[in-house]
Amino acid sequence: MFSKRNLVAYAIAFLFILVLNFALPRMMPGDPLMAIYGDEALIAMTPELKAQLVERFALDKPLWQQFGAYFLALFQGKLGYSYYYNAPVLSVILGRLPWTLLLVGTSLVLSTMLGIILGIESGWRRGSRTDRAMLAGLMSLNGFPDFFLGMLLLIAFGVTLGIFPLAGALTPYSGLSGLALVMDILRHLFLPVAALTLAHLANGYLLTRNTMITVLKEPYMLTAKAKGLSQRVLKYRHAGRNSMLPVVTQTGIWMGRVVTGALFVELVFAYPGVGYLTYEALLARDYPIIQGVFLMVAISVLVANFLIDLSYPKLDPRVSYAY
Amino acid sequence: MLEIKDLRVSYGQDVILNGIDLELGSGETLAIVGESGTGKTTLGLSIMRLTEGTVRGVIRFNGKDLLALSDNEMQQIRWSQIAIVFQNANNVLNPVYTVLNQIMEPMVEHGLKSRDEARDRTAELLRYFGFPRDRFSAYPHQLSGGEQQRVLLAMAMANNPELLILDEPLSSLDAASRTEIGNLLRETDKHGAKLVVTHDLDTVSKLADRMAVLYGGKIIEAGLTRDVFSRPRHPYTRALIRAYPNMTTVKDLQGIKGRMTRPVSGCPFHPRCTQVIDICRTKTPHLVWSEGRHIACHRGGIITLLSTKNLTTSFGSLKAIESVNLHIEAGETLALVGQTGSGKTTLAKTIMGLHQPTEGDVYLENTKVDNRGKDFYKRVQMVFQNPGESLSHRLSVLEAVMEPLDIQGIGTDEERKERAIQVLGEVELPQTRNFLNKYPHQLSGGEMQRLAIARALVLDPALLIADEPTAFLDASIQAKILKLLLNLQEQRGLSMLYITHDIAAARKVSDRIAIMLDGRVIEEGPSNEIITAPKQGYTKNLLTAASALHSTESSGIEQQTLNSQ
Amino acid sequence: MHIDLKKEIKESGPGRAGLIILLLMIAVALLAPVIAPYNPYQQSTASLLPPSWNHWLGTNQVGQDIWSRLVFGARTSLLVGFGVGILSTLLGTIFGVSAALLGGLYEKVVMRIVDAFIVIPMIIVVILISAYIRPSILTLILLLSLLSWQGGARIVRAQALSLKERGHVAAARSFGAHHFYIAWRHIVPDLGPVLLVDFIYSVRRAVFMEAGLAFLGITDPTVVSWGMMMRDALSFSYLNVWQWWLVPTGVALSLTIIGLTFVGHAAEPVIEPRLRGAEVA
Repeated sequence: MFSKRNLVAYAIAFLFILVLNFALPRMMPGDPLMAIYGDEALIAMTPELKAQLVERFALDKPLWQQFGAYFLALFQGKLGYSYYYNAPVLSVILGRLPWTLLLVGTSLVLSTMLGIILGIESGWRRGSRTDRAMLAGLMSLNGFPDFFLGMLLLIAFGVTLGIFPLAGALTPYSGLSGLALVMDILRHLFLPVAALTLAHLANGYLLTRNTMITVLKEPYMLTAKAKGLSQRVLKYRHAGRNSMLPVVTQTGIWMGRVVTGALFVELVFAYPGVGYLTYEALLARDYPIIQGVFLMVAISVLVANFLIDLSYPKLDPRVSYAY
Repeated sequence: MLEIKDLRVSYGQDVILNGIDLELGSGETLAIVGESGTGKTTLGLSIMRLTEGTVRGVIRFNGKDLLALSDNEMQQIRWSQIAIVFQNANNVLNPVYTVLNQIMEPMVEHGLKSRDEARDRTAELLRYFGFPRDRFSAYPHQLSGGEQQRVLLAMAMANNPELLILDEPLSSLDAASRTEIGNLLRETDKHGAKLVVTHDLDTVSKLADRMAVLYGGKIIEAGLTRDVFSRPRHPYTRALIRAYPNMTTVKDLQGIKGRMTRPVSGCPFHPRCTQVIDICRTKTPHLVWSEGRHIACHRGGIITLLSTKNLTTSFGSLKAIESVNLHIEAGETLALVGQTGSGKTTLAKTIMGLHQPTEGDVYLENTKVDNRGKDFYKRVQMVFQNPGESLSHRLSVLEAVMEPLDIQGIGTDEERKERAIQVLGEVELPQTRNFLNKYPHQLSGGEMQRLAIARALVLDPALLIADEPTAFLDASIQAKILKLLLNLQEQRGLSMLYITHDIAAARKVSDRIAIMLDGRVIEEGPSNEIITAPKQGYTKNLLTAASALHSTESSGIEQQTLNSQ
Repeated sequence: MHIDLKKEIKESGPGRAGLIILLLMIAVALLAPVIAPYNPYQQSTASLLPPSWNHWLGTNQVGQDIWSRLVFGARTSLLVGFGVGILSTLLGTIFGVSAALLGGLYEKVVMRIVDAFIVIPMIIVVILISAYIRPSILTLILLLSLLSWQGGARIVRAQALSLKERGHVAAARSFGAHHFYIAWRHIVPDLGPVLLVDFIYSVRRAVFMEAGLAFLGITDPTVVSWGMMMRDALSFSYLNVWQWWLVPTGVALSLTIIGLTFVGHAAEPVIEPRLRGAEVA
């Protein structure tokens, strides 16, 4: 049931991304080179360079050959050159990537784990005041867009209370190392992660809670209770373990949301990740960067989803590969 | 070791268990028998405090009242001292953990074994219950129904509980597995006590020494299994056994009239009981000890309707019947089988008062019958051999059926007519005006016999004596008449004295059979015993000579003369 | 089906609250010209003023009245939200039902496309496209719809597949009905509750997206957008103008989304009856 069908879907998605990336600039009216590089960059180029680029991109050849050239270049890891940053796109992106990974990774793990635990506890006490309060609370929290939450946190803790720094991933030119460096990074990381985690907490919570409700009605829960097992064991080992399964399936999709959210949060906190890079590139109309980011993000999300799909059967013994 | 007193369980407004008393000692196996919805599963669950309803009463286990314990204390007792084997269904086992894991779990969690010890014991248990070695790490969804049942059993025995509750342990298994597992269960843990909850009488006979029958939230009969099976004393128990097909059943299956309802007051069975009296409707009978049995019935169980003591009737020097001792219980059919001249009809007529006995007495509901007045005939009626003769050719159908009512002076003319028409419906005769005006010679043999039966029923008797009711009829009609009689018994709780020479027909309608030869009853007992294990030579001859559709030519059936002594 | 959707929502505490919030927002959007004292585009020299009787929420950096902009912003959010909701649900229904009914290669192709698009983060695609094309409200609605119908299609197809097996469909088929008739008469009406829930969540997602994109600067410059307002407010976060500029806007946006969330959640038991129960007041 799993891999074959998903593989095809992922392949189609991949193709779509490639084609989109390829087609957009070439669909624009006017000089395709301008569309690829943006008019500002073009001004800086010499005619010889322009000719070189035309050749590189095979812009004077038929469309399918262009696609071939494009595809080939992609495979060789050549994502283009950014005139704004004066460096190859790939290196620019890679320079910013670690911060985004840190941000997204931490938030995803935290929000999912916390969401699951809250969901289990809430589902276990379904209908009680605690449950209803948590439900209303988290659903309301879910309504706050990540950038708004970020801004509120920034203003509350950064500007007003001054506990956390206002921008960046670390204090520039501070020359810190070792533990002090780690602490500095963490202080800068705290608010952005908090914003992202809180904004996406409800995803895991709602799904786990819903699944818990159905799971608790299953016969094996009565069996477990009859075995005289403690509440904790019943909640987590028996009910929780079964309630987690849909969450794992959905994590791939949530990752897409968190990545999107990171975009906004980085903007709010001027956090130097790929998201902030995108924003800068948008302002500067640096198309190669935008395209490069798009490609990287989209493909990473695809790959992550695929890996998650592969690992699901390990968690649910009822499911097996259907090759 | 287990003592339950006045246990009451209800879910909101619904009362599921209405005062249960029972006792179970070490080494005993008690079966709680009931049909679906009677609350037997609830009983099992409430002992372990796993029900969600309101529970009241006392459940004393080894001296401690389980209902008074705290949640923590109960949690410790669960699965270490009392365990339950749930009914085998989907998802009784957690789908994400292996079989091995789930059996080890209660051992480890209760701190009774280390992981290694638990693993060894699990292997031992699974081996004992016949679970294949190479499947220990299988997941529940990979198991067959039989395998899953074995796992459930092994899992329950994990901590060697003193009390084991089994909910339908054999119902989902095939015949071979049933015997195997049944034996395993009986051998296992002879010191512990077992409570088996089931609707399946086969399970009861395989596993339990004692049984208690549950109806309407109460126990209505309890005793040793073999006693209850051979001689059920509560009308419900008898009906239950009659409805259950097994290899020893000879009588056709009968249902119980009506549907299970919960009457507001009185005995829970009274709407469906065929020997109900006024008190049954108002007061709930208690479970009392009587003659080796616990029974909850205001009438002390199934009553004896008619009995004869040393009955002898002579015509001059010829003793037509001699020293006949018989009894017929309420709602049962006694078949009287014998050849022509054995005295069957004489006996019937003596009981009816058409002949005077020279010695002995007849008792109706334990009262001696001296003069047979109208009251007697209201309770005992007879259907004669030849309907052509017993029906007056002067009376129309309606008049014939109304005749007994007219004689007894019951009701108004209108009421009698209504009653007559109703009874005609019961025997499945038309109730049209056209039919009512017909005369006996215009009817077929089958219709005439039905008419005769209708006439006998119109007074609503408790006992119907049917003398060779199908002798003059074709085979197919005979079948219908027999079915009709069985139906009437089911609906009205009618007792029958079924007189016939045909032992094959007798076996299909009777609970007990009495064999008559030369005026004496030479053998008598439950139908299935007489048919499968007759003691008297004459009886054996009768059986051999009885109509068998498939007779073996080669071995040759010995056709002994039936007139020999 | 037998479950009354309106009743479900009305009986749930949060559902009721959500409905009220939504209706309030719709009312504000419709009555915008009436309740806004100023033209939201009109700039003036009175910039960054705190709230006063003249300007209930003060003014922004180019002297525009914040309250008026807030009120008109509701129009944008709801317009895009409902626009995308309708179009996306429509597309989802068409593709979902057709895939279920027609089956075969068509179904396989459609479902692969659906699976493919569900994984791709929508916003990234929109960002990329809008780098090249300046979006107007209409293009935005179109674009977002094209990228978000897939979620609904999956659910609709699943539901349609089970409906397809019902007796009355088989009967219609035996009368010679063709697919369109069956879809129109027998399947779509029973899809009602599912479609409604899908619609509500689509609207919610669209409101979210529109605000987010506007926050990034990707918006139709001829309209007022809450996202854009928040973006402007961000640059002034060191001043305390955020109290009456950022917060009311953010709260208005969040409330709208929360309202939709609550209503959607209350309507969910329609699809999954087992969720019904003791949780509502």
